[in-house]
Amino acid sequence: MQQHSLRHAPSSPDPVGAEQPIVVVVDDDLTVREGLSELILSVGLNVVAFASTQDLLASGAMDRPGCLILDVRMPGASGLDLQHRLAATGDAKPIIFLSGHGDIPMTVQAMKAGAVDFLTKPVRDQALLDAIATALDRDRSQRATAEVARHNADRLKLLTPREHQVLAEVARGRLNKQIAYDFGISEVTVKLHRSKAMRKMQLATVGALIRAWETLPAHVRLPPSR
Amino acid sequence: MAMLSEVTGTMSDEPTRAAMMVEAVVGNAWATDAAGRFVYITPGMLAPLGIVREDLNGSDDPAFGWKPLVHPNDYEAAAASWRQSLRDERAYDATHRLRAADDTFRWGRCSGRPVRDSENRIVGWYGAVLDWEAIRERDRELSQLVDMVPSHVWRLTPDGEPTFFNRRMADYLGLESTDTALGGLAELIESVHPDEVCMFRETLGRSLASGEPFSLRYRLRRADGAYRWMSSRAEPLRDHADCILQWYGVCHDIDDQVLTEEALRRSKHQLEQMIDALPINILSFDPARKLTYASKRYLSTAGMPGEHIQDFEGLAREVSHPDDFPTMFNRASAGFANSEPFVNRFRRRCMDGVYRWIEARAQALRNANGEIVQWYIVSIDIEEEMQAQEALRERERFVWQLVETLPAMVDCASPDGEPVYRSQQLREFLGYELEGLLDTNGSRLMQTLDAGVHPDDLAAVKKDYAQCLRTGEPYARRHRLRRHDCEYRWVETRAAPMRSADGAIVQWNVICLDIDAEVRAQEDLHLAQERLARASQAASLAELSASIAHEVNQPLAAVVWNSHACQRWLAASPPNLDRVHVTVERIIRDANAAAEVVSRIRALFKQTVAPHHRAAIADLISDVGRLLGDRTSRMRVEIETDVAADLPAVPFDFVQIQQVLVNLMRNAIEAMEGHAPKPRLGVRAVCDGEVLRVEVSDNGPGVLYPEKIFDAFFTTKQSGMGMGLAICRSIIESHGGRLWAERNRAGGATFAFTLPTHAPEPA
Repeated sequence: MQQHSLRHAPSSPDPVGAEQPIVVVVDDDLTVREGLSELILSVGLNVVAFASTQDLLASGAMDRPGCLILDVRMPGASGLDLQHRLAATGDAKPIIFLSGHGDIPMTVQAMKAGAVDFLTKPVRDQALLDAIATALDRDRSQRATAEVARHNADRLKLLTPREHQVLAEVARGRLNKQIAYDFGISEVTVKLHRSKAMRKMQLATVGALIRAWETLPAHVRLPPSR
Repeated sequence: MAMLSEVTGTMSDEPTRAAMMVEAVVGNAWATDAAGRFVYITPGMLAPLGIVREDLNGSDDPAFGWKPLVHPNDYEAAAASWRQSLRDERAYDATHRLRAADDTFRWGRCSGRPVRDSENRIVGWYGAVLDWEAIRERDRELSQLVDMVPSHVWRLTPDGEPTFFNRRMADYLGLESTDTALGGLAELIESVHPDEVCMFRETLGRSLASGEPFSLRYRLRRADGAYRWMSSRAEPLRDHADCILQWYGVCHDIDDQVLTEEALRRSKHQLEQMIDALPINILSFDPARKLTYASKRYLSTAGMPGEHIQDFEGLAREVSHPDDFPTMFNRASAGFANSEPFVNRFRRRCMDGVYRWIEARAQALRNANGEIVQWYIVSIDIEEEMQAQEALRERERFVWQLVETLPAMVDCASPDGEPVYRSQQLREFLGYELEGLLDTNGSRLMQTLDAGVHPDDLAAVKKDYAQCLRTGEPYARRHRLRRHDCEYRWVETRAAPMRSADGAIVQWNVICLDIDAEVRAQEDLHLAQERLARASQAASLAELSASIAHEVNQPLAAVVWNSHACQRWLAASPPNLDRVHVTVERIIRDANAAAEVVSRIRALFKQTVAPHHRAAIADLISDVGRLLGDRTSRMRVEIETDVAADLPAVPFDFVQIQQVLVNLMRNAIEAMEGHAPKPRLGVRAVCDGEVLRVEVSDNGPGVLYPEKIFDAFFTTKQSGMGMGLAICRSIIESHGGRLWAERNRAGGATFAFTLPTHAPEPA
């Protein structure tokens, strides 16, 4: 259940802005939700709180940039369960764990799975706020990278299969004549494919190509089979 | 004349050889000249009468000179006949009475024949006088002989017409006379039994035609119509020219013999039929073991022995199964050699080539001298029996193996409990055979129990056994039984009676399972459960503390966060007083919540003394002893309870004090584990003035820190929170008593607590 609406955050620069990050709190304890939300609001961040992970997933708040603050122990699906679930769906939203009594194995497990921090209640306000800042930074950069990758992937879809093949070989560092020999086509044709592909990818240099290529997930890079 | 003179001369003058010869012949002879004058007469005939030959030629009297020799009544006829013979020159034959030496007259026959010369002139007469009466006598004797012979005598013409039957035969046939009234051959044939008449006619006809002797058996009808068997033989009488003159035959009544033979034959036939009908095969061998007889049934089952088979061995080798032959033949050979009856069971091949089990018994038949005349071997088919036996054996073997290989120890006992059988598993477990128990040492059951059952279980086991044997109730009990390696192992023994149709117990069937591992596993499980229970107790304590922390943490964390937020709202420009207001309210609320949690926890830990009821401490001690009975018996802990008889009932919380006592006793048992070879736990309750004192003492290693052990979280055990004694002390103190520990004389520890006999003043 959503406890705080964004309008309670007067210092929020743009309450409805899609790109405005939002801190999501999930804790079954009302006092914790209220205290935590109040603290986050007081530093000018958007916050939304839910009593359970199910409420969160049903809300649509996950689509927005930001980070998660999860209680480890909750009735129903725990914070760790949610972490697993997000990792499985490729959602890399940064998570801060908050626990009444964290033990070492649990902490290790959470950190290994990519948690930003594992904090024990009661937590000092600055430690929590620092963790939130770190998490939001990580979210921002992840999103930027993801944006570039998506752009490049979209571009890549414009290429013909042959252009894609040629470009993949170029990205591997092969020379035109090597590519021509491998594909059994003339070097001129290779050059033609290559220049068309580079144009479609909006890339000017091989260096740019290699950087763009790095952003692409492996399955997208793979050219259609010859 | 010359011849006559020669004759007379010879006869009259000297006793020539011819005269001697004539005189040697029975009877009297005479000779006359052609005129009838006697020239010779047997001298012995006249001498007794006192006359000489010349007297016979006497005078010219018209009467002959021999008149005195003839009976006066017969003389005329004799003289006339003689005269006529002389006149007619024909043979003379006359029968008349002649004077004998004793001057009596005897019938005689006088015959004479003329003797002629070469010119056919009569030169004399030769004659003979036969004593007719003597002949008649002989004839009578002969006739009597013929009639008296115990046979039928008959005579036939060469054509076969009967001319004579003796009296016996005539009587048999019912004929009036022997020579009159003889029927023809046809009539004789008619008397023959219709079944043999053809043969009779043919045989007789053949004999008559060929002259071969006739011999036949046939039935002949007696006068009364009954047919009797006859054995008849006839041979021809031939003349010098070999022509058949007569057939003479005899005929024996062989009816009795034939009937006897027939009866014999019938009896033999019946015997053979019987032999063939009996479902047995019979063979006989002579003393040289040559096959002499095989019953029909034998031939139809085993078949005709081959040509090459000569003796017993050959036959045995031929028909018996190769696997059985050696044994069978050895036994038979021994039997033959020792002339003793023998029995063999073996497989014999039948005509269809299939081997079937038979039992053959051989017995010798001896003659009066005791020598063996014949060996008889009787065999019967026992295939079904053998198969049934085999099935039975197989079944028995199966059951035996079942019993022997069951993964259980099986024992059978007589109705009075005496073991009669023990399976291999049981024998191996005990390490001795049933036979090893001597009857002289008392009953085998008691020996077994005394030797094997654990001393602690022995009395109860014996009691149960006795009970079951008396009542016939099934027996079931777990006890320890000593194995051959002297290790006592837990076994579960169950016994049930097997009863006959009338309900009497015929046998006890006992099964005994080694459940040692199971019992040990149960003990282990029990221990594990106990450990688990304690672990979970500990865990729940940890849990409790964690949840207490959480309960307090939550509102505290909220207070902190709200405070920080409040601070920020205030520091903002302009200060967000609405938010400040909200956060301050929350701070108050959450701080109160935290305080409430703390007071709730305090209430939880606070010992509110429930109303105590007075109870007898003795009951409590016995209760706890029972509760811990399982452990004490497993650890073989000896419990000595010493409760004073006059203890007053004191007010206490039964459950709480029970917990205390359980704790103290359990601690004592655990302390002794592995330390005391003979763990002994003492529980003593005495009244000491105003208080009741209960002591729990052990002979374990004792306590090192008699006071420290009551501190919370102090423990000497590997597992445990160290809360037990602390809680115990708080319980006892809440009852107004004391709990302490001290070292005792046995070197172990004694834990004592007191309870006031009067309820403490409410605090």
